Amino acid sequence: MSAIFRLMRNKRLFILMIGLILFIALMGFTFGRNRLTWPEKFVSDAIGTVQGVFYRPVGAVADFFRDLGRLSDVYKENEQFRQTVAQYTQDQIKFNMLEARNKELEELLGFTEHQKNMDNYRYLPAQVVGTTSNPYEKTITINLGSKNGIKSDMAVRTSDGLVGMVSKVKNFTSTVTLITNLDPSSSKGTPVSATFLSKPDSFGIIEYDEETKTLLMSKIEEKDKPTDGDTVITSGLGSLFPKGIIVGTVKSSQVGDFGLTYTAVIEPAAKFDHLRDVFVIVVPELDDVNDVNEVDEP
Amino acid sequence: MSMRINWAILLGLVLVILENTVVPWLIPSGWSDRLLPHLTFILTIFVAGYAGRHPAFLFGLGFGLLQDMLAYGYLIGPYGFGMGLIGYFAGLLSEYKSYTIGLFSWVILVFGMMLDSIVYWIYNLFRLTNLQFAHVFYWQVAPTALLQLLIALLMYVPVRRYLVKALPSTGEDSSE
Repeated sequence: MSAIFRLMRNKRLFILMIGLILFIALMGFTFGRNRLTWPEKFVSDAIGTVQGVFYRPVGAVADFFRDLGRLSDVYKENEQFRQTVAQYTQDQIKFNMLEARNKELEELLGFTEHQKNMDNYRYLPAQVVGTTSNPYEKTITINLGSKNGIKSDMAVRTSDGLVGMVSKVKNFTSTVTLITNLDPSSSKGTPVSATFLSKPDSFGIIEYDEETKTLLMSKIEEKDKPTDGDTVITSGLGSLFPKGIIVGTVKSSQVGDFGLTYTAVIEPAAKFDHLRDVFVIVVPELDDVNDVNEVDEP
Repeated sequence: MSMRINWAILLGLVLVILENTVVPWLIPSGWSDRLLPHLTFILTIFVAGYAGRHPAFLFGLGFGLLQDMLAYGYLIGPYGFGMGLIGYFAGLLSEYKSYTIGLFSWVILVFGMMLDSIVYWIYNLFRLTNLQFAHVFYWQVAPTALLQLLIALLMYVPVRRYLVKALPSTGEDSSE
Protein backbone atom coordinates (compact mmCIF):
# COMPACT_ATOMS: atom_id res chain seq x y z
CA MET A 1 0.00 0.00 0.00
CA SER A 2 2.79 2.42 0.89
CA ALA A 3 4.34 1.73 -2.50
CA ILE A 4 1.16 3.01 -4.16
CA PHE A 5 1.23 6.14 -2.02
CA ARG A 6 4.85 6.75 -2.95
CA LEU A 7 3.82 6.40 -6.59
CA MET A 8 1.04 8.90 -6.04
CA ARG A 9 3.52 11.43 -4.70
CA ASN A 10 5.18 11.47 -8.08
CA LYS A 11 2.93 14.15 -9.52
CA ARG A 12 3.95 13.69 -13.13
CA LEU A 13 3.18 9.98 -13.16
CA PHE A 14 -0.10 10.60 -11.40
CA ILE A 15 -1.21 13.12 -14.01
CA LEU A 16 -0.13 10.76 -16.78
CA MET A 17 -2.27 8.00 -15.33
CA ILE A 18 -5.28 10.30 -14.97
CA GLY A 19 -4.74 11.41 -18.58
CA LEU A 20 -4.58 7.82 -19.77
CA ILE A 21 -7.82 6.98 -17.99
CA LEU A 22 -9.53 10.08 -19.39
CA PHE A 23 -8.45 9.22 -22.91
CA ILE A 24 -9.50 5.58 -22.67
CA ALA A 25 -12.87 6.87 -21.45
CA LEU A 26 -13.08 9.35 -24.35
CA MET A 27 -12.22 6.67 -26.89
CA GLY A 28 -14.67 4.23 -25.38
CA PHE A 29 -17.36 6.89 -25.42
CA THR A 30 -16.77 7.88 -29.05
CA PHE A 31 -16.45 4.23 -30.16
CA GLY A 32 -19.52 3.17 -32.10
CA ARG A 33 -21.59 6.28 -31.59
CA ASN A 34 -23.63 7.77 -34.39
CA ARG A 35 -24.67 11.23 -33.21
CA LEU A 36 -22.19 14.06 -33.15
CA THR A 37 -22.22 16.93 -30.68
CA TRP A 38 -22.35 20.47 -32.01
CA PRO A 39 -18.70 21.42 -31.31
CA GLU A 40 -17.56 18.44 -33.35
CA LYS A 41 -19.91 19.36 -36.18
CA PHE A 42 -18.82 22.99 -36.08
CA VAL A 43 -15.08 22.27 -36.12
CA SER A 44 -15.37 19.62 -38.83
CA ASP A 45 -17.59 21.81 -41.00
CA ALA A 46 -15.31 24.82 -40.65
CA ILE A 47 -12.11 22.96 -41.49
CA GLY A 48 -13.85 20.82 -44.11
CA THR A 49 -15.11 23.87 -45.98
CA VAL A 50 -11.64 25.43 -46.05
CA GLN A 51 -10.17 22.10 -47.17
CA GLY A 52 -12.44 22.11 -50.21
CA VAL A 53 -10.74 25.27 -51.43
CA PHE A 54 -7.38 23.46 -51.50
CA TYR A 55 -8.19 19.85 -52.28
CA ARG A 56 -9.93 20.34 -55.60
CA PRO A 57 -7.49 22.71 -57.37
CA VAL A 58 -4.54 20.59 -56.26
CA GLY A 59 -6.38 17.50 -57.46
CA ALA A 60 -7.09 19.13 -60.81
CA VAL A 61 -3.42 20.00 -61.28
CA ALA A 62 -2.30 16.51 -60.23
CA ASP A 63 -4.81 14.91 -62.59
CA PHE A 64 -3.66 17.16 -65.40
CA PHE A 65 -0.09 15.93 -65.05
CA ARG A 66 -1.26 12.31 -64.80
CA ASP A 67 -3.31 12.79 -67.96
CA LEU A 68 -0.29 14.19 -69.78
CA GLY A 69 1.51 10.95 -69.00
CA ARG A 70 -1.41 8.94 -70.37
CA LEU A 71 -1.72 10.85 -73.65
CA SER A 72 -0.22 8.00 -75.66
CA ASP A 73 -2.91 5.59 -74.46
CA VAL A 74 -5.75 7.76 -75.66
CA TYR A 75 -5.94 6.26 -79.12
CA LYS A 76 -6.22 2.71 -77.83
CA GLU A 77 -8.72 3.77 -75.21
CA ASN A 78 -10.84 5.51 -77.84
CA GLU A 79 -10.93 2.34 -79.89
CA GLN A 80 -12.18 0.42 -76.85
CA PHE A 81 -14.84 3.02 -76.13
CA ARG A 82 -16.10 2.78 -79.72
CA GLN A 83 -16.66 -0.93 -79.27
CA THR A 84 -18.31 -0.44 -75.91
CA VAL A 85 -20.69 2.16 -77.32
CA ALA A 86 -21.71 -0.16 -80.15
CA GLN A 87 -22.38 -2.88 -77.60
CA TYR A 88 -24.25 -0.38 -75.45
CA THR A 89 -26.64 0.66 -78.24
CA GLN A 90 -27.49 -2.99 -78.81
CA ASP A 91 -28.13 -3.50 -75.11
CA GLN A 92 -30.18 -0.32 -74.89
CA ILE A 93 -32.75 -1.71 -77.35
CA LYS A 94 -32.96 -4.95 -75.44
CA PHE A 95 -33.17 -3.07 -72.13
CA ASN A 96 -36.05 -0.85 -73.32
CA MET A 97 -38.03 -3.86 -74.43
CA LEU A 98 -37.40 -5.66 -71.16
CA GLU A 99 -38.30 -2.61 -69.10
CA ALA A 100 -41.59 -2.12 -70.92
CA ARG A 101 -42.38 -5.81 -70.43
CA ASN A 102 -41.45 -5.56 -66.78
CA LYS A 103 -43.75 -2.56 -66.26
CA GLU A 104 -46.60 -4.44 -67.90
CA LEU A 105 -46.11 -7.41 -65.64
CA GLU A 106 -45.88 -5.21 -62.56
CA GLU A 107 -49.23 -3.62 -63.53
CA LEU A 108 -50.78 -7.04 -63.98
CA LEU A 109 -49.54 -8.21 -60.60
CA GLY A 110 -50.85 -5.05 -58.95
CA PHE A 111 -47.58 -3.72 -57.57
CA THR A 112 -48.06 -0.81 -55.18
CA GLU A 113 -46.41 2.51 -56.01
CA HIS A 114 -43.57 2.04 -53.55
CA GLN A 115 -42.79 -1.48 -54.68
CA LYS A 116 -42.38 -0.11 -58.19
CA ASN A 117 -40.05 2.65 -57.06
CA MET A 118 -37.96 0.46 -54.78
CA ASP A 119 -35.00 0.35 -57.16
CA ASN A 120 -35.14 3.95 -58.39
CA TYR A 121 -32.11 5.25 -56.57
CA ARG A 122 -31.26 8.90 -56.57
CA TYR A 123 -27.62 9.88 -57.01
CA LEU A 124 -26.41 13.00 -55.25
CA PRO A 125 -23.16 14.21 -56.80
CA ALA A 126 -20.65 15.18 -54.12
CA GLN A 127 -17.15 16.54 -54.18
CA VAL A 128 -14.37 15.14 -52.04
CA VAL A 129 -12.82 17.88 -49.91
CA GLY A 130 -10.23 15.97 -47.93
CA THR A 131 -8.74 12.69 -46.81
CA THR A 132 -6.88 11.80 -43.64
CA SER A 133 -3.41 10.78 -42.57
CA ASN A 134 -4.72 8.26 -40.05
CA PRO A 135 -3.83 4.76 -41.31
CA TYR A 136 -6.63 3.05 -39.36
CA GLU A 137 -9.50 5.38 -40.22
CA LYS A 138 -9.62 5.24 -43.99
CA THR A 139 -12.10 8.02 -44.49
CA ILE A 140 -12.72 10.81 -46.98
CA THR A 141 -14.71 13.99 -46.37
CA ILE A 142 -17.39 15.07 -48.85
CA ASN A 143 -19.02 18.45 -49.20
CA LEU A 144 -22.61 17.32 -48.53
CA GLY A 145 -24.14 17.11 -45.09
CA SER A 146 -27.42 16.76 -43.28
CA LYS A 147 -28.60 20.04 -44.85
CA ASN A 148 -28.39 18.29 -48.24
CA GLY A 149 -30.32 15.26 -47.04
CA ILE A 150 -27.38 12.99 -46.30
CA LYS A 151 -27.95 10.36 -43.64
CA SER A 152 -25.48 7.93 -42.13
CA ASP A 153 -25.09 4.47 -43.70
CA MET A 154 -25.83 5.70 -47.22
CA ALA A 155 -23.69 4.02 -49.88
CA VAL A 156 -21.15 6.08 -51.81
CA ARG A 157 -19.82 5.26 -55.26
CA THR A 158 -17.73 6.80 -58.00
CA SER A 159 -18.56 6.45 -61.68
CA ASP A 160 -16.48 3.24 -61.56
CA GLY A 161 -17.88 1.45 -58.55
CA LEU A 162 -18.60 1.24 -54.84
CA VAL A 163 -16.18 3.14 -52.59
CA GLY A 164 -17.75 3.26 -49.16
CA MET A 165 -20.44 4.24 -46.72
CA VAL A 166 -21.33 7.54 -45.06
CA SER A 167 -20.30 7.14 -41.45
CA LYS A 168 -20.63 10.53 -39.73
CA VAL A 169 -22.89 13.33 -40.94
CA LYS A 170 -22.31 16.97 -40.04
CA ASN A 171 -24.28 19.97 -41.24
CA PHE A 172 -22.35 20.78 -44.42
CA THR A 173 -19.86 17.94 -44.71
CA SER A 174 -19.80 14.24 -43.94
CA THR A 175 -17.20 11.52 -43.51
CA VAL A 176 -17.25 8.47 -45.73
CA THR A 177 -15.61 5.25 -44.53
CA LEU A 178 -14.06 3.37 -47.43
CA ILE A 179 -15.00 -0.28 -48.01
CA THR A 180 -11.41 -1.25 -47.26
CA ASN A 181 -12.18 -0.22 -43.67
CA LEU A 182 -15.56 -1.95 -43.39
CA ASP A 183 -14.08 -5.42 -42.99
CA PRO A 184 -16.61 -7.42 -40.93
CA SER A 185 -13.87 -9.29 -39.09
CA SER A 186 -12.87 -6.11 -37.24
CA SER A 187 -15.00 -5.13 -34.29
CA LYS A 188 -16.92 -2.33 -36.02
CA GLY A 189 -17.12 -3.68 -39.55
CA THR A 190 -20.20 -3.62 -41.74
CA PRO A 191 -20.84 -6.64 -43.92
CA VAL A 192 -21.50 -5.79 -47.56
CA SER A 193 -23.37 -8.57 -49.32
CA ALA A 194 -22.41 -9.16 -52.92
CA THR A 195 -23.37 -11.35 -55.84
CA PHE A 196 -22.02 -12.28 -59.27
CA LEU A 197 -23.51 -10.54 -62.28
CA SER A 198 -23.78 -13.83 -64.20
CA LYS A 199 -25.29 -15.71 -61.22
CA PRO A 200 -27.89 -13.43 -59.60
CA ASP A 201 -28.71 -15.96 -56.87
CA SER A 202 -25.16 -16.28 -55.61
CA PHE A 203 -24.15 -14.73 -52.32
CA GLY A 204 -20.94 -13.60 -50.70
CA ILE A 205 -19.59 -11.11 -48.18
CA ILE A 206 -17.06 -8.44 -49.09
CA GLU A 207 -14.00 -8.52 -46.86
CA TYR A 208 -10.68 -6.76 -46.93
CA ASP A 209 -7.42 -8.46 -46.12
CA GLU A 210 -5.25 -5.79 -44.50
CA GLU A 211 -2.16 -7.96 -44.66
CA THR A 212 -2.16 -8.48 -48.43
CA LYS A 213 -4.19 -5.32 -49.24
CA THR A 214 -6.73 -7.20 -51.34
CA LEU A 215 -10.50 -7.09 -51.50
CA LEU A 216 -12.09 -10.50 -51.00
CA MET A 217 -15.53 -11.98 -51.47
CA SER A 218 -15.97 -14.83 -49.03
CA LYS A 219 -18.62 -17.36 -48.01
CA ILE A 220 -19.61 -18.14 -51.59
CA GLU A 221 -21.67 -21.32 -51.80
CA GLU A 222 -20.14 -24.37 -53.38
CA LYS A 223 -22.59 -24.44 -56.29
CA ASP A 224 -21.66 -20.88 -57.30
CA LYS A 225 -18.04 -21.47 -58.16
CA PRO A 226 -16.57 -18.06 -59.07
CA THR A 227 -15.26 -17.67 -62.60
CA ASP A 228 -12.35 -15.36 -63.22
CA GLY A 229 -13.33 -12.08 -64.84
CA ASP A 230 -16.91 -12.20 -63.58
CA THR A 231 -18.30 -8.87 -62.33
CA VAL A 232 -19.17 -8.59 -58.64
CA ILE A 233 -22.08 -6.31 -57.70
CA THR A 234 -23.80 -5.56 -54.40
CA SER A 235 -26.81 -7.78 -53.88
CA GLY A 236 -28.91 -5.50 -51.66
CA LEU A 237 -29.49 -8.31 -49.19
CA GLY A 238 -29.35 -7.07 -45.64
CA SER A 239 -30.94 -3.82 -46.85
CA LEU A 240 -28.06 -1.54 -45.86
CA PHE A 241 -26.50 -1.22 -49.28
CA PRO A 242 -28.64 -0.74 -52.40
CA LYS A 243 -28.32 -3.45 -55.01
CA GLY A 244 -26.56 -3.41 -58.34
CA ILE A 245 -23.52 -1.30 -57.60
CA ILE A 246 -20.36 -2.62 -59.20
CA VAL A 247 -17.71 -3.66 -56.69
CA GLY A 248 -15.13 -5.17 -59.02
CA THR A 249 -14.17 -8.21 -61.05
CA VAL A 250 -12.98 -11.61 -59.90
CA LYS A 251 -9.22 -11.96 -60.22
CA SER A 252 -8.77 -15.44 -58.79
CA SER A 253 -10.54 -17.78 -56.43
CA GLN A 254 -9.75 -20.55 -54.01
CA VAL A 255 -11.55 -22.87 -51.62
CA GLY A 256 -12.38 -21.07 -48.37
CA ASP A 257 -11.49 -21.74 -44.75
CA PHE A 258 -13.40 -24.96 -44.08
CA GLY A 259 -13.47 -26.32 -47.60
CA LEU A 260 -17.21 -25.74 -47.86
CA THR A 261 -17.19 -22.29 -49.42
CA TYR A 262 -15.23 -20.36 -52.00
CA THR A 263 -13.31 -17.15 -51.52
CA ALA A 264 -12.71 -14.89 -54.52
CA VAL A 265 -10.05 -12.21 -54.81
CA ILE A 266 -11.62 -9.09 -56.28
CA GLU A 267 -9.98 -6.42 -58.34
CA PRO A 268 -11.86 -3.29 -57.18
CA ALA A 269 -13.54 -1.27 -59.92
CA ALA A 270 -13.01 2.02 -58.12
CA LYS A 271 -9.70 3.17 -56.78
CA PHE A 272 -9.70 4.40 -53.21
CA ASP A 273 -7.06 7.09 -53.27
CA HIS A 274 -6.95 10.37 -55.17
CA LEU A 275 -10.74 10.54 -55.28
CA ARG A 276 -12.41 13.74 -56.52
CA ASP A 277 -16.04 13.18 -57.45
CA VAL A 278 -18.33 10.67 -55.80
CA PHE A 279 -22.07 9.98 -55.74
CA VAL A 280 -24.12 9.38 -52.63
CA ILE A 281 -26.88 6.88 -53.31
CA VAL A 282 -30.24 7.82 -51.84
CA VAL A 283 -32.64 4.92 -51.55
CA PRO A 284 -36.25 6.14 -51.96
CA GLU A 285 -37.87 7.02 -48.67
CA LEU A 286 -40.40 4.33 -47.93
CA ASP A 287 -42.02 3.31 -44.70
CA ASP A 288 -41.18 -0.33 -45.33
CA VAL A 289 -37.56 0.31 -46.01
CA ASN A 290 -37.27 2.58 -43.00
CA ASP A 291 -38.76 -0.05 -40.73
CA VAL A 292 -36.29 -2.63 -41.93
CA ASN A 293 -33.41 -0.21 -41.38
CA GLU A 294 -34.43 0.53 -37.85
CA VAL A 295 -34.66 -3.14 -37.01
CA ASP A 296 -31.19 -3.72 -38.44
CA GLU A 297 -29.52 -1.09 -36.34
CA PRO A 298 -28.15 -2.45 -33.08
CA MET B 1 15.09 31.15 -27.26
CA SER B 2 11.37 31.33 -27.30
CA MET B 3 8.70 31.00 -29.91
CA ARG B 4 6.02 33.14 -31.49
CA ILE B 5 3.22 30.91 -30.28
CA ASN B 6 0.41 32.75 -32.07
CA TRP B 7 2.13 32.32 -35.40
CA ALA B 8 2.88 28.71 -34.56
CA ILE B 9 -0.83 28.05 -33.96
CA LEU B 10 -1.69 29.69 -37.26
CA LEU B 11 0.96 27.58 -39.00
CA GLY B 12 -0.50 24.53 -37.27
CA LEU B 13 -3.94 25.20 -38.73
CA VAL B 14 -2.44 25.65 -42.19
CA LEU B 15 -0.51 22.39 -41.75
CA VAL B 16 -3.68 20.51 -40.74
CA ILE B 17 -5.33 21.63 -43.96
CA LEU B 18 -2.26 20.84 -46.08
CA GLU B 19 -1.97 17.42 -44.44
CA ASN B 20 -5.49 16.46 -45.48
CA THR B 21 -5.64 18.09 -48.89
CA VAL B 22 -2.31 18.69 -50.62
CA VAL B 23 -0.11 15.93 -49.20
CA PRO B 24 -2.33 13.00 -50.37
CA TRP B 25 -2.05 14.27 -53.95
CA LEU B 26 1.75 14.40 -53.77
CA ILE B 27 2.03 10.78 -52.63
CA PRO B 28 2.15 8.34 -55.56
CA SER B 29 -0.84 6.04 -55.88
CA GLY B 30 0.79 2.80 -54.74
CA TRP B 31 2.23 4.42 -51.63
CA SER B 32 -0.85 6.22 -50.37
CA ASP B 33 -1.36 3.90 -47.41
CA ARG B 34 2.33 3.72 -46.56
CA LEU B 35 3.39 7.36 -46.48
CA LEU B 36 1.11 9.28 -44.14
CA PRO B 37 3.18 12.16 -42.77
CA HIS B 38 1.77 13.99 -39.75
CA LEU B 39 2.77 17.59 -40.30
CA THR B 40 1.31 18.82 -37.02
CA PHE B 41 3.44 16.25 -35.20
CA ILE B 42 6.55 17.85 -36.73
CA LEU B 43 5.37 21.26 -35.59
CA THR B 44 4.75 19.88 -32.10
CA ILE B 45 8.37 18.74 -31.93
CA PHE B 46 9.49 22.25 -32.99
CA VAL B 47 7.35 23.73 -30.24
CA ALA B 48 8.80 21.21 -27.78
CA GLY B 49 12.32 22.19 -28.76
CA TYR B 50 11.86 25.95 -28.63
CA ALA B 51 9.02 26.63 -26.21
CA GLY B 52 9.20 23.88 -23.63
CA ARG B 53 7.10 20.98 -22.49
CA HIS B 54 3.83 22.60 -21.46
CA PRO B 55 3.13 24.48 -24.72
CA ALA B 56 4.19 21.35 -26.62
CA PHE B 57 1.80 19.21 -24.60
CA LEU B 58 -1.12 21.55 -25.30
CA PHE B 59 -0.12 21.84 -28.96
CA GLY B 60 0.02 18.08 -29.43
CA LEU B 61 -3.21 17.54 -27.55
CA GLY B 62 -5.11 20.22 -29.47
CA PHE B 63 -3.96 19.42 -32.97
CA GLY B 64 -4.11 15.68 -32.32
CA LEU B 65 -7.73 15.94 -31.24
CA LEU B 66 -8.50 18.18 -34.22
CA GLN B 67 -7.03 15.60 -36.56
CA ASP B 68 -9.00 12.85 -34.84
CA MET B 69 -12.19 14.81 -35.18
CA LEU B 70 -11.67 15.38 -38.90
CA ALA B 71 -10.98 11.70 -39.57
CA TYR B 72 -13.65 10.45 -37.16
CA GLY B 73 -15.08 7.19 -38.24
CA TYR B 74 -14.55 4.92 -35.25
CA LEU B 75 -12.55 6.61 -32.51
CA ILE B 76 -11.69 10.10 -31.29
CA GLY B 77 -8.57 10.36 -29.20
CA PRO B 78 -5.67 8.20 -30.42
CA TYR B 79 -3.73 11.06 -31.99
CA GLY B 80 -4.78 13.48 -29.25
CA PHE B 81 -3.35 11.11 -26.68
CA GLY B 82 -0.25 10.16 -28.63
CA MET B 83 0.73 13.66 -29.68
CA GLY B 84 0.03 15.16 -26.25
CA LEU B 85 2.23 12.54 -24.61
CA ILE B 86 5.00 12.86 -27.17
CA GLY B 87 4.91 16.65 -27.07
CA TYR B 88 5.38 16.52 -23.33
CA PHE B 89 8.27 14.07 -23.43
CA ALA B 90 9.99 15.83 -26.32
CA GLY B 91 9.70 19.08 -24.33
CA LEU B 92 11.12 17.37 -21.25
CA LEU B 93 14.06 16.12 -23.29
CA SER B 94 14.72 19.58 -24.70
CA GLU B 95 14.97 20.94 -21.17
CA TYR B 96 17.81 18.54 -20.39
CA LYS B 97 19.60 18.91 -23.68
CA SER B 98 18.91 21.69 -26.16
CA TYR B 99 18.09 20.62 -29.70
CA THR B 100 20.86 20.73 -32.23
CA ILE B 101 20.00 19.63 -35.74
CA GLY B 102 21.45 16.17 -35.09
CA LEU B 103 19.44 15.56 -31.94
CA PHE B 104 16.40 17.11 -33.59
CA SER B 105 16.58 14.60 -36.47
CA TRP B 106 16.76 11.71 -34.05
CA VAL B 107 13.84 13.08 -32.06
CA ILE B 108 11.67 13.41 -35.19
CA LEU B 109 12.57 9.88 -36.29
CA VAL B 110 12.21 8.09 -32.96
CA PHE B 111 9.19 9.99 -31.65
CA GLY B 112 7.50 9.70 -35.06
CA MET B 113 7.81 5.93 -34.83
CA MET B 114 6.57 6.05 -31.23
CA LEU B 115 3.51 8.09 -32.21
CA ASP B 116 2.43 5.68 -34.93
CA SER B 117 3.13 2.73 -32.63
CA ILE B 118 0.96 4.22 -29.87
CA VAL B 119 -1.83 4.79 -32.36
CA TYR B 120 -1.45 1.23 -33.64
CA TRP B 121 -1.68 -0.18 -30.11
CA ILE B 122 -4.84 1.83 -29.40
CA TYR B 123 -6.56 0.59 -32.56
CA ASN B 124 -5.37 -2.91 -31.80
CA LEU B 125 -6.75 -2.61 -28.26
CA PHE B 126 -10.19 -1.77 -29.66
CA ARG B 127 -9.86 -4.65 -32.18
CA LEU B 128 -10.15 -2.27 -35.10
CA THR B 129 -7.07 -3.67 -36.78
CA ASN B 130 -5.88 -7.27 -36.89
CA LEU B 131 -2.44 -6.56 -38.25
CA GLN B 132 0.79 -7.70 -36.65
CA PHE B 133 2.99 -4.94 -35.28
CA ALA B 134 6.00 -6.09 -37.30
CA HIS B 135 3.99 -5.76 -40.49
CA VAL B 136 2.64 -2.31 -39.58
CA PHE B 137 6.13 -1.16 -38.68
CA TYR B 138 7.59 -2.26 -41.99
CA TRP B 139 4.59 -1.19 -44.05
CA GLN B 140 3.69 2.21 -42.65
CA VAL B 141 5.56 3.33 -39.52
CA ALA B 142 9.13 3.26 -40.83
CA PRO B 143 8.51 4.85 -44.28
CA THR B 144 6.31 7.52 -42.69
CA ALA B 145 8.96 8.37 -40.10
CA LEU B 146 11.62 8.75 -42.79
CA LEU B 147 9.39 11.02 -44.85
CA GLN B 148 8.62 13.05 -41.73
CA LEU B 149 12.34 13.47 -41.14
CA LEU B 150 12.75 14.82 -44.66
CA ILE B 151 9.85 17.26 -44.29
CA ALA B 152 11.12 18.35 -40.87
CA LEU B 153 14.55 19.12 -42.26
CA LEU B 154 12.95 21.16 -45.05
CA MET B 155 10.95 23.09 -42.45
CA TYR B 156 13.91 23.56 -40.09
CA VAL B 157 15.37 26.75 -41.52
CA PRO B 158 12.08 28.61 -42.17
CA VAL B 159 10.75 27.73 -38.72
CA ARG B 160 13.92 28.94 -37.03
CA ARG B 161 13.96 32.13 -39.04
CA TYR B 162 10.33 33.15 -38.67
CA LEU B 163 8.96 31.41 -35.60
CA VAL B 164 11.85 31.42 -33.15
CA LYS B 165 12.68 34.64 -31.34
CA ALA B 166 16.31 34.83 -30.30
CA LEU B 167 16.77 36.16 -26.81
CA PRO B 168 19.62 38.68 -26.83
CA SER B 169 21.17 37.25 -23.65
CA THR B 170 21.79 33.75 -25.00
CA GLY B 171 22.79 34.64 -28.56
CA GLU B 172 23.68 31.06 -29.34
CA ASP B 173 21.22 30.36 -32.13
CA SER B 174 23.01 32.49 -34.70
CA SER B 175 26.06 30.26 -34.51
CA GLU B 176 24.20 27.34 -36.03
